[in-house]
Amino acid sequence: MAASGDEIFFATIPELNARIASKQISAEELARAFAFRLEQLGPRYNALALPLRELAASQAKAVDKDLKLGRKHGALQGIPYGVKDLLSLAGKPTTWGAKPYAAQVFDYNATVLDKLEAAGAVLAGKLAMVELAGGGGYRYASASLTGPGLNPWDLGRWAGGSSSGSAAAVAAGLVAFAIGSETSGSILTPASFCGVTALRPTYGLVSRYGAMALSWTLDKVGPFARTAEDCGLVLHAIASGDAKDPGSAGKSFYYAPQYARPIKELRIGYAAADFSERADASARPAFAAALGVLKEAGAQLFETKLPAFPYDEILDTILAAEQGAIFEPLIASGRVEELADKAQIAGLKASLAVTAKDYLKAMRIRRTIQTAFSGVFAGLDALIAPATDGPATPLDQPMIPLPGAPPEVSSPAAGLSGLVTAGNLAGLPALALPCGFAGGLPVALQVVGAPFSENLLLGIGKEFQSRTDWHRRRPPA
Amino acid sequence: MTLKITRRKLAVALAGPAAAALAQPRTPASGPGDELTAARDRLAMATGEVARQEVPMATEPAFQFKA
Repeated sequence: MAASGDEIFFATIPELNARIASKQISAEELARAFAFRLEQLGPRYNALALPLRELAASQAKAVDKDLKLGRKHGALQGIPYGVKDLLSLAGKPTTWGAKPYAAQVFDYNATVLDKLEAAGAVLAGKLAMVELAGGGGYRYASASLTGPGLNPWDLGRWAGGSSSGSAAAVAAGLVAFAIGSETSGSILTPASFCGVTALRPTYGLVSRYGAMALSWTLDKVGPFARTAEDCGLVLHAIASGDAKDPGSAGKSFYYAPQYARPIKELRIGYAAADFSERADASARPAFAAALGVLKEAGAQLFETKLPAFPYDEILDTILAAEQGAIFEPLIASGRVEELADKAQIAGLKASLAVTAKDYLKAMRIRRTIQTAFSGVFAGLDALIAPATDGPATPLDQPMIPLPGAPPEVSSPAAGLSGLVTAGNLAGLPALALPCGFAGGLPVALQVVGAPFSENLLLGIGKEFQSRTDWHRRRPPA
Repeated sequence: MTLKITRRKLAVALAGPAAAALAQPRTPASGPGDELTAARDRLAMATGEVARQEVPMATEPAFQFKA
């Protein structure tokens, strides 16, 4: 447990609201405290891409002025946060975590940053990420301009990727919430590894204008926070239609926990094998206990399985085709060689070989996947599974085999093992919920629902977190 | 993103003519050419599996993708 006296850095958004409202602390004091802490401790986890102490102080002063005049902007007013260095902030470097873009500066803000500023949130810094969000396929955690994302629970372990800094900064109490992104697993994996709550929104619910494009049809932007409720409050502020994002669904999101359906009414699909066979042995007790909590809460659990599709191959084909088109100028210029990870360089180059026929076939199958999931959610309200099979991996553990090495033999197919990939292909929302520990490291559940069912997922999360305290655990000081 | 060899990829490979080659342990190498070959092989396995899928002729691609 962290030393006493730093509770404020681990407070939820409503708790911080109460402190500001009661004048225990001003927005400026809070911003300076968080920005200083982020600047001091961020490098310990390789989580900080760019400190923004002066900007934070300036934004917080404006918040204090508004509050003095009685201008209320909602729950995020005066709340310090960080943003993955994949979103542009006018006039400041936006590196995408990659050396070839280390000096890149845009003259406009990402829509999400404008919306958070309008809500009164205070930007304390930009957060580290895997280079180019890892689309080429990276072998090592060190695939980043800022070095490997270190896990606050164990500095010898990875924070997960590609939103490494977003997850680590929330876990270590360096920001109250953070913004990350997911193409396939980049929110859920680091949230699970770092023990924080996070939400991957439905595709199109949150604008990606000003965010690096890795895959136009897969990229999503979403929050990392302390609780499901905090994620709801952040999503409320950042979700909306945006004419500047061609993928925008044109919808807003109103966080409405008061209308959440009771968990006893919900039909939740799961696969026992995920919890008893596929999960790492060390994590099985935590996952079993989490299932027990849901059962005790009255959730109706039904054994289920995913529609049968080669999800990984379809996603790999679509991602390769789109990232190949996006990063073709980088590859053609030769500057792709400046990336930190050899496998990532090779993966990007290889992606140029995907044909239009391959891409269109994958996108046609994707249509049938969406239809199949409509059928799944006709009978079920949500699916649950481990967010990752086990806890954070050691820093030096390769994620893909070395060239020439025999292929890895995975454990037998079981349960909902393709849910992360399938959910991303179908554009489904997912909530990561810390649910226990394995060998002293956090693990998490993922709760996945139909498109635009975020309130339902957040309701399940809130109920789960009212019965557990895993989300309130803090890494060693 | 991870691009591990999945069970499905492995099953497809082992069922096809590449089975013998994959079954042979090879010495790991790390040259840029080897990396590129390996990346191309992984992607070829993925697109190969996609190509083998049957899709009704009327199915349109998820252009202008919407959830």
